[in-house]
Amino acid sequence: MTRDCEEIKSLLGAWLDGELGASEAAEVRLHLQGCASCLGEKARLEKLQSSLKSVLEAKASQLAFEPFWAGVRQRIAEERPWHARLIDWARAVLSPPRLAWAIPAVIIILLAGLSLEQFFPGWRWALNRSNLAAVESIDGHGFNVALLRESKTKTTVIWLFENHEGEEETSAEPVSGGPAF
Amino acid sequence: MEISEWDLIQKCQKGDVTAYEELAAKYYRRVFMVVLGMLHHQEDAMEVAQETFYRAFKNINRFKGGSSFYTWLYRIAVNLAIDFQRRQKRGVMDFKENMDEVIVETERLGSDPYREVRDRELGERLLAAIDQLTPDHKAVIVMRAVEGLSYKEIGRTLGCSEGTVMSRLHYARKKLQEKLGSYL
Ligand SMILES: [Zn+2]
Repeated sequence: MTRDCEEIKSLLGAWLDGELGASEAAEVRLHLQGCASCLGEKARLEKLQSSLKSVLEAKASQLAFEPFWAGVRQRIAEERPWHARLIDWARAVLSPPRLAWAIPAVIIILLAGLSLEQFFPGWRWALNRSNLAAVESIDGHGFNVALLRESKTKTTVIWLFENHEGEEETSAEPVSGGPAF
Repeated sequence: MEISEWDLIQKCQKGDVTAYEELAAKYYRRVFMVVLGMLHHQEDAMEVAQETFYRAFKNINRFKGGSSFYTWLYRIAVNLAIDFQRRQKRGVMDFKENMDEVIVETERLGSDPYREVRDRELGERLLAAIDQLTPDHKAVIVMRAVEGLSYKEIGRTLGCSEGTVMSRLHYARKKLQEKLGSYL
């Protein structure tokens, strides 16, 4: 059974890529010997492939290594394990004398506020039952304390976070499925 | 894998950034080519290519030498580029702006009679046409053209079958031929 031009054209890409089985490949080869239309299609596919490669090569050849590497090196330098960053942060915060007492003081005040609820059930946070949400900056290094209190469930969430304006979180691993190693 | 390259990788696994600089110098253009083919925008491509090298260094201890180092790198690059596109989803305005740039570029080049320039024009149109494909279609067309990878290897990188790679490639080429028309 011989295939028509449409069928041959649909196989040409895979044939050029060397991905057809022996018998199909032989069929395509034979057809091309006598068909100008399919030969033209083959030439267009080849041109598509070679043009893409050469335009990308041309653009990549203009890219200098130094600025490229500078960006990579900076990312590597910024990457520090969380415990090292915590130590850095603690050092930075505790070094100015005027701030030395700020953290324990904030923690004690928060704990005292929270325990009041347990010891004096009639006492209400801020004298009413409404929820509380607050963000307090506790130092000059971009670290903040956020406090969220939900009065109905008596749940209080406190968290510390860094204030990165406009910086995208990069800790999420976007490599879907992950590369095979 | 070459012995010297494996030596460099082992140094990197001990945290040697200078050794990593040598590896990066060797492969940064190839990685950039793959990513640029998929993202079209030069700054985006630079961002993702740099992130690729950063991630590779961060995870270098997971590289056991089962494949070539470059194979490992481009797998990270392709997956990051796909992810980048899915997260970013550029707006319509951005796309139009992009087409205008291409048209201005081709008008500027249109009067030049030399073949090199015509090829450059085709190249720019081709990149703009690829930019309109889905991330998965971009990935197959670029990996095949730049790296000449087998369908099996492309399938491994993208987590799909060889049959899927074949049909995506067929579809992508057909679309590109339609868009480029007489330029091919
Ligand atoms: Zn024919």
